[in-house]
Amino acid sequence: MLNTDSKKILLVDDNRLVLALMSKALSKEGFECLKADSALEAIEILKDKIPDLILSDYEMPEMDGFQFRAYLMLDAVLKNIPFIFLTSISDETLMAKGLSLKAIDYILKDTPVHVVVSKINNLLQTVREQHQQSIRELSGIAQALNLRAIPKEIPKLKGFMLDFWHKSYQNYPGGDFIDFIVIDERYACVVLGDVMGKKWGAWFFSFSFLSYIRAAVRLCVFDGDYSTASILKKINKVIYHDPVLSDILSTLSIIMIDQQEGSITYSGAGDLPLLHYIAKEKKLELVKSTGLLLGVFQEGLYTEHSFKPGLGDQLILITDGIIDYENESGKMSDHNLFIKIIEPLLGVEDTFKQFQKNIFITQKSKEQIDDCSIIFIQKEAI
Amino acid sequence: MILKTHEDQDLLVAEVQLEEANLTQSDGFKEEMIALIDQGNHHILVDFRKVKYVDSSFLGALVSALKYAMAQEGDVAVVNLNKDIHDLFSLIRLDKVFKIFPDRKSAIIDSNK
Repeated sequence: MLNTDSKKILLVDDNRLVLALMSKALSKEGFECLKADSALEAIEILKDKIPDLILSDYEMPEMDGFQFRAYLMLDAVLKNIPFIFLTSISDETLMAKGLSLKAIDYILKDTPVHVVVSKINNLLQTVREQHQQSIRELSGIAQALNLRAIPKEIPKLKGFMLDFWHKSYQNYPGGDFIDFIVIDERYACVVLGDVMGKKWGAWFFSFSFLSYIRAAVRLCVFDGDYSTASILKKINKVIYHDPVLSDILSTLSIIMIDQQEGSITYSGAGDLPLLHYIAKEKKLELVKSTGLLLGVFQEGLYTEHSFKPGLGDQLILITDGIIDYENESGKMSDHNLFIKIIEPLLGVEDTFKQFQKNIFITQKSKEQIDDCSIIFIQKEAI
Repeated sequence: MILKTHEDQDLLVAEVQLEEANLTQSDGFKEEMIALIDQGNHHILVDFRKVKYVDSSFLGALVSALKYAMAQEGDVAVVNLNKDIHDLFSLIRLDKVFKIFPDRKSAIIDSNK
């Protein structure tokens, strides 16, 4: 939630003059100010926008500052926004009451503006540092436990070149997961999934999914079943009946590569289509899977597509973060736009390197609004 | 409140009051939906007319609400999806999970069948 350079403040005061003066002074210092002349209006604003800080008066009609703060404390997201009381009275009893509501500070209304600005800047800086520190600690623990949602290494396969690109949302670990499972000398399995949700929650569940997927792939293979549709059916069944995971939804794409036959089998669950560039015809085809998101229904309508890619054919799997983008009119998802952008890069010798250099894709890593992942497979001569 | 509700014949219409339906609102949305179902509204039509963008977390919450309703022999349908959101529903096969109606009228006709 906290962008390193974001400075959005919600000002709440029933005195419109104070609101205007404070907003003018803070805007001059580079803050983006949202103004509310009552706690009720502030609550309306908070439905759509999450500021980095709330600066609120406490003497207000209808709902006063304390009631406003108490209301925010009931909300899992809103209670964590740093909250400062702005007041004209210096009263210790009132201050104690405010602090018990976990307001982090008090600012007297007659405090010179430059002092207010430094105070806010210091506070935002401290919050940010603590936040970064927590992420570092959690990432450290995850690494120590060797929990990975993306592969450490890319396996070398006969006749197929494999690569991937992954960027997490605002550098948090997220819900996308990638795995390459080398089953034996003949078969290898490529897995791409996206647990719906963001950041830590999704990241945590992505491990549970990955464990199930790894187990399902192995169990099918032990039984001599290399069908990706069978694997998906098994995974879906387990997730559907799991009391914890059944509430969490995930997409999944599975490709089974048969190195001996030079063929692939693909199945998907609520995933975006597999992009297949046919080198011989210089044509891009969308291979659409039929399966529903994992865990929605007991029967997920899973089917599979099997085919032998020709020499130079390219296969691309993506998650939805890559098709989301933001422009002046807001956020959107546009699959066709993504295809238009990558189409000219297909069929060249170093397509994947071109992807990584492509402005649209690299820009994504800065402005993206979700996890982004791309898996790239190219059929090569043995 | 994320949802504004009213009854239209036997159907409860719940209009999402957000332009951007995302992660920050998904838990709240799910809680409100579950509360509505618990109050005995087993057939809910979620109206997306105000929504311009919906992210995967919010869609996850919508599917969770559907599963909760189905466990009580209920249903959750959607109406007034803009083109982008409609395309997204088709792309990830949510069109096979939810009944999608172009307008409230057709949803009500369907519910009276």
